Amino acid sequence: MGETKTKHPLVDRTEPELLESMFPYSLPPLICFDGPVVEDLDGRRVEVDPKALKKRDIHITDTTFRDGQQARPPYTTDQMVRIYELLSRIGGPNGVVRQTEFFLYTKNDRETLDRCRALGREFPECTGWIRAVRGDLRLVKEAGLKETGMLTSISDYHIFPKLKFNSRADCIESYCAVVAEALEAGIRPRCHLEDVTRADVDGAVLPFVERLMELSRGAPPELSVKIRLCDTMGFGVSYPGAALPRSVPKLVLKLNRQLGVPSEQLEWHGHNDFHKVHINGATAWLYGCDAVNTTLFGFGERTGNPPLEGAVFEYIALKGDLCGIDTTAITAAADYMRSIGLPIAENYPFVGRAFNTTRAGIHAGGMRQDERIYNIFDTAALLDRPPRVAITDKSGTDGVVVWVNEYLGLTGEDRVNKMKIHRLARWVMDEYEERHRTTAIGDQEMETRLKELCPELCAKYKGSGN
Amino acid sequence: MATVLERVKTVTGRVMGMAPDAIEPSHDFVADLGAESVQSVELVAMFEEEFGIEMDEDASLSVQTVGAAAEFITKVCKEQGVEV
Repeated sequence: MGETKTKHPLVDRTEPELLESMFPYSLPPLICFDGPVVEDLDGRRVEVDPKALKKRDIHITDTTFRDGQQARPPYTTDQMVRIYELLSRIGGPNGVVRQTEFFLYTKNDRETLDRCRALGREFPECTGWIRAVRGDLRLVKEAGLKETGMLTSISDYHIFPKLKFNSRADCIESYCAVVAEALEAGIRPRCHLEDVTRADVDGAVLPFVERLMELSRGAPPELSVKIRLCDTMGFGVSYPGAALPRSVPKLVLKLNRQLGVPSEQLEWHGHNDFHKVHINGATAWLYGCDAVNTTLFGFGERTGNPPLEGAVFEYIALKGDLCGIDTTAITAAADYMRSIGLPIAENYPFVGRAFNTTRAGIHAGGMRQDERIYNIFDTAALLDRPPRVAITDKSGTDGVVVWVNEYLGLTGEDRVNKMKIHRLARWVMDEYEERHRTTAIGDQEMETRLKELCPELCAKYKGSGN
Repeated sequence: MATVLERVKTVTGRVMGMAPDAIEPSHDFVADLGAESVQSVELVAMFEEEFGIEMDEDASLSVQTVGAAAEFITKVCKEQGVEV
């Protein structure tokens, strides 16, 4: 306690300090670091420089068509082509969304791949996904893909009860044979280390990755084997000091710092079974994986994968720049997904219908003064989604007047004040107090009542009171 | 002709459901007369209608007593050229 600073003199101000270098509003709030991040690796202190993230070629990869489809009935080819276009738009010309992977097993899978490639987009690059068996590799060769993921499950849960190998050695030999064949065929293998967060890291993961790096040394550099760390059951944890095999920091550092696998050959793939999916992906970025594998809106096996749009905003927050990303395409993608029947929860971040809708009158009052008080960033500019208020018993006159101004499209000096909408505010209040309503009041109903109770406003600003 | 204070008391009585005679200049709209948030807005809107004026929202809603409201309205009427 001796070092505790006990005096904290008030730094008085007459103008607000809004911390705009961290909360620029035109961008999502920036993630800033003070100093190095430290992890203990086999008793040795390892430092990671988080500021290096600004310069590193971190990026996002996508598995909406592979893991994402494992969570739902198949998309049609047209739907997948449309989603591919949206992924390309989101990631922009710098390839922040760098790759997306396709199944190759059915005629539809292959037709979809062909149609996406025919669009001629540089990003996301189309890659494959196969099991590490020779028969599957043939599909990759026939498709003419430059890179394919291959399932190389690495925990004993998979090696023995599922895949029925007699030993780890037999299993790894089998995987390596297919990897070697891929390299010979000029295909870059991306080994998906399934269930790595439940594997024997020193006894199985590292020896396998060492073998893969040896195989890579005999191939051209552009074919060097990539390693995807698959947290198949969502067991990964991000805390510094957590133990292997669940520690995301240690898994990444073991491969990156101990084995020397370059960051550009490392990728993280997570699942959301314990609500840790996004932070584990971001943690993998921080500790040395350049790629984080994601799906649009997190749709994926069981509880899903890291949401692509979450990774996009994390990326911008780390880089401090949009880097060519079209964030408004995220809203377009959500609209499209809803149009083809995919449910997105109302309160789902960034794209849920109510993600930036406030219901509390006191918040609405704050929004009237300055929308930055209760809006996370300029959602109108970045997502085509201005902040909104929903009308309930908690809305008060502040909420009602915000709704009216928004409905009438009034800004700045043109905005009407509370006195102009007092009849509508009274009607809202009476709905709950006198008529004991228990549901929110939707836009359509508000619109009808506004026309009825404040016809002069509708006539003035909408051209008709009816 | 009724004074500004009498007209303020009449409007206040109508909005709050009280007899104007029971309302005193010293009465606080919230603490004594029990005005809720929406009623405060209704009061200001009704004063605007009664006197044919427009009042600043923040300034008018910060007036606390009946007597202060009469003074505030008198001042606004003067500024806006409304005879009272």
